Amino acid sequence: MAVTAEDLAPDIRRFSLWTAVRRNPTIAIGAVLLAVLLVIAIFAPWIATSDPLKIVPVNRLRPPSERWWFGTDQFGRDVFSRTVYGARISLIVGLSVAVISSVLGLALGLACGYFRRVDGVVMRVMDGLMAIPSILLAIALITLSRPGLGIVIVAIVIPEVPRIVRVVRAVVLSIRSQPYIESAIAGGTKNWKLLTRHILPNTLAPLIVQSTYVCASAMLIEASLSFLGAGVPPEVPSWGNIIAQGRNFFQIAPWIVLIPGGFLAVTVLAVNLLGDGLRDRLDPRLARRL
Amino acid sequence: MSGTPGPILEVRDLHTQFSTLDGIVRAVDGVSFDVARGETLGIVGESGCGKSVTAMSILRLIPRETGRIASGSIRFEGEELTTLTEEEMKRLRGHRISMIFQEPMTSLNPVLTVGTQIAENVVRHLGVSWKQGRERAFEMLDLVRIADARRRLDEYPHQLSGGMRQRVMIAMALSCDPQVLIADEPTTALDVTIQAQILDLMIELKEKTGTAIVLITHDLGVVAETTERVVVMYAGRKVEQASVETLFDEPLHPYTRGLMRAIPRLDVEADAAGTRPRLQEIPGLVPILTQPIIGCAFAPRCGFATDRCRRERPPLIDAGAGHLVACWEVDRVRRAA
Amino acid sequence: MSDAPVLQVEGLVKHFPIQGGLLQRQVGAVRAVDGVTFSIRRGETLGLVGESGCGKSTIGKVVLKLIEPTAGKIVLAGEDVTALKPGAMWTHRRRIQTIFQDPYSSMNPRLPSGTIVGEPLENFGIARGAARDEQVAQLFRRVGLRPEAMRKYAHEFSGGQRQRLGIAKALSVNPDVIVADEPVSALDVSVQAQVLNLLIDLQEEYGLAYLFISHDLAVMRHISHRIAVMYLGRIVELADKRTLFTQPLHPYTEALLSAATAPDPKRRGLRKKIVQGDVPSPANPPPGCHFHTRCLYATAQCRVTAPPLLEVAPGHHVACLRRPVGGDPGPLSIPG
Repeated sequence: MAVTAEDLAPDIRRFSLWTAVRRNPTIAIGAVLLAVLLVIAIFAPWIATSDPLKIVPVNRLRPPSERWWFGTDQFGRDVFSRTVYGARISLIVGLSVAVISSVLGLALGLACGYFRRVDGVVMRVMDGLMAIPSILLAIALITLSRPGLGIVIVAIVIPEVPRIVRVVRAVVLSIRSQPYIESAIAGGTKNWKLLTRHILPNTLAPLIVQSTYVCASAMLIEASLSFLGAGVPPEVPSWGNIIAQGRNFFQIAPWIVLIPGGFLAVTVLAVNLLGDGLRDRLDPRLARRL
Repeated sequence: MSGTPGPILEVRDLHTQFSTLDGIVRAVDGVSFDVARGETLGIVGESGCGKSVTAMSILRLIPRETGRIASGSIRFEGEELTTLTEEEMKRLRGHRISMIFQEPMTSLNPVLTVGTQIAENVVRHLGVSWKQGRERAFEMLDLVRIADARRRLDEYPHQLSGGMRQRVMIAMALSCDPQVLIADEPTTALDVTIQAQILDLMIELKEKTGTAIVLITHDLGVVAETTERVVVMYAGRKVEQASVETLFDEPLHPYTRGLMRAIPRLDVEADAAGTRPRLQEIPGLVPILTQPIIGCAFAPRCGFATDRCRRERPPLIDAGAGHLVACWEVDRVRRAA
Repeated sequence: MSDAPVLQVEGLVKHFPIQGGLLQRQVGAVRAVDGVTFSIRRGETLGLVGESGCGKSTIGKVVLKLIEPTAGKIVLAGEDVTALKPGAMWTHRRRIQTIFQDPYSSMNPRLPSGTIVGEPLENFGIARGAARDEQVAQLFRRVGLRPEAMRKYAHEFSGGQRQRLGIAKALSVNPDVIVADEPVSALDVSVQAQVLNLLIDLQEEYGLAYLFISHDLAVMRHISHRIAVMYLGRIVELADKRTLFTQPLHPYTEALLSAATAPDPKRRGLRKKIVQGDVPSPANPPPGCHFHTRCLYATAQCRVTAPPLLEVAPGHHVACLRRPVGGDPGPLSIPG
């Protein structure tokens, strides 16, 4: 009877890209779409067929053709080039809002979940912040300073932070009650190590998922702000600005509105697909196999 | 119909499979057994042996998205269940065959009073009036010895204790006089003193109503105290079947023997010095069901295993007086005492 | 086996506040542990047995100082640790370790098993780096796991193997006492035997003291030297296991023993005294003797006076008004 407890232990599953994609097509689709958009944004100067800001009045409102792939706007600017550059604004806003609010939200969420004394105060402040609509906040901030990308990002970050704090705090609270935390304390693990080694890594998965949703919603809010004229300065070719400026010509030149609108929709969809896929993959309750 | 002789439930060569990301899980791998009218049959085995899946297969409660009854036949009063439509199964479940589960809280609707839930079952299956249904609910609660049954009718599941909820589940399961009651670990979640109450109640009610009980459990003590015949399952297969006395007197499958020697016993006199005898371990782990099992499923953990055991699946043979065992080496096992 | 107890608990009380109302004020208390006294010697297993809600797990946590006691005294290896703040308690944690019930949730899913097992070694500065790995490998071997498995994560192990990991971790800092809270109740029978045997071997090898918490009488009788029976936060009977099983004096112990099932069909029907009714809520326990609501032998006095735990025979403690010191140990009569 020289069989040890382990002789019949299950095999370790090896990771393979193909099985990952097959099991989780949403992540793959989202990631591929997003990668394409990133490439477009980074290499915009090489992809764009002309200067997005160059006004050529002769070529006003030309429909899509071989020369102007996405047509031109009322100033004769090339909509294709403007849309390509617009990807930069959307992605910058989406990613910076996601990163900044994640970092802030993680710090506050960990503090609230772990040190119960700060919890009450911080959470009430967060409730207050959540009640501020980002559009009003952006308008208020712009009246106080010059419009610009930074202001837009700040205006979106402030109401998004509480959403992250809530998620992180809830996760920390549930992890704190896990037996493995008690087991670690009984094993002499001190506060700091408990936070960094046992609690933090377990909050990352839900944090990443939540931040993808924040990213998608930041892109939409940026577009709405631009559309309302409370976002990035009008000369900057963001998708919201392009749509806002093409609005009056929608009847005769619908491409000005529809094409950047389509890009915005696809980008948000890609981020959301990625988020849903990650949630399914990272949530241990859903990922647990039979 | 109820006067016809023969078993009330016949399960033949049942195969139930689940498709998972790791492959096909052969949860039940060719299991056959009968349930006679009014008897208590125990199905015993460790987690993952397929005992609960067998019960769910009988009631056709295998989740459609992942699992299916791959082959085999389940006949209830001569009627084939595997080919019935979902509508026909619904008429059967909770009426002629009913089931109670381990955790009663999850099988009771939290927003309806227990009286309403029992009455609903009665009204749906027996087509009586709502008033008669309520009256039946009261009778049933009284039958399962819930004190002050009239008042309890209007309480919600969360207002009851665990033992009381399991009584309600039993009352509901028996409310339409089923021919078969399938009880899946009915006392596992309960405290020892409450478990004793529920087991006593089940035996008493069985005698009163003549309902056949299929009791599924991992607990050999529960089996010994309540059942008449026992099926032992391992890795989705039936490895042994005998009357309860025979099984505990002379278990013939090395797995059954292993189980009985592995449990600490209360009924064996402790020795005077208070030393602690070693329990006999079953080495190793249960096999993984996604990989096809060649030969006897227990062979890798079995002290009697030979090359044949690892090569060929042992058939169930009759070792005398209906004592079935699936083991090539049964003669050696018997001699080893 | 030295006679000085390694763990002494005196008059331990733990009340959990119940908050209610708009302002979350305390409106009551769950009296989880209500004045419990016991001690464990080196190399000894004390079993705490009782049904859910009797406070046995809470005692385990209080003794480990994972939660603070409301009152009472905890003396660990001669030192009073009752009032120690977390920082001061830290140095004493080496002496008392724990094995949890659920091998699934008691391991951080994101750390390799070797790291989990070696964490206490690191925490207490016993060994780091390669030396730690070497010690962890030895621990793995000692509990019957292959040292190569150190790189695997908890979910890659079976339930029994995870429980071995938990044991290895508890063992790593060479403690005096191990609190084992239902360590085998989540395991299958065949694996349960492996783990129980391992626990007994380790105790004999290292002279460990176990506070073994379980609801399973058969497991309890197998592993314990002495057993304390708990009911609603109080110990109702405490004796060496032979005495407890052959001559139970408290009606609740008697009820527990007769309710336990035995894997022997011939004994069917031998169960005589099934106690009726449910365990009352520990938030609102009955006055007097907590058990009087379900006790066949309760008198008017039992409904009023809480019985003290008395040593009625050498080493045999009972908390029952009908079992006075020097009383007849025979069957009780049912009051008319």
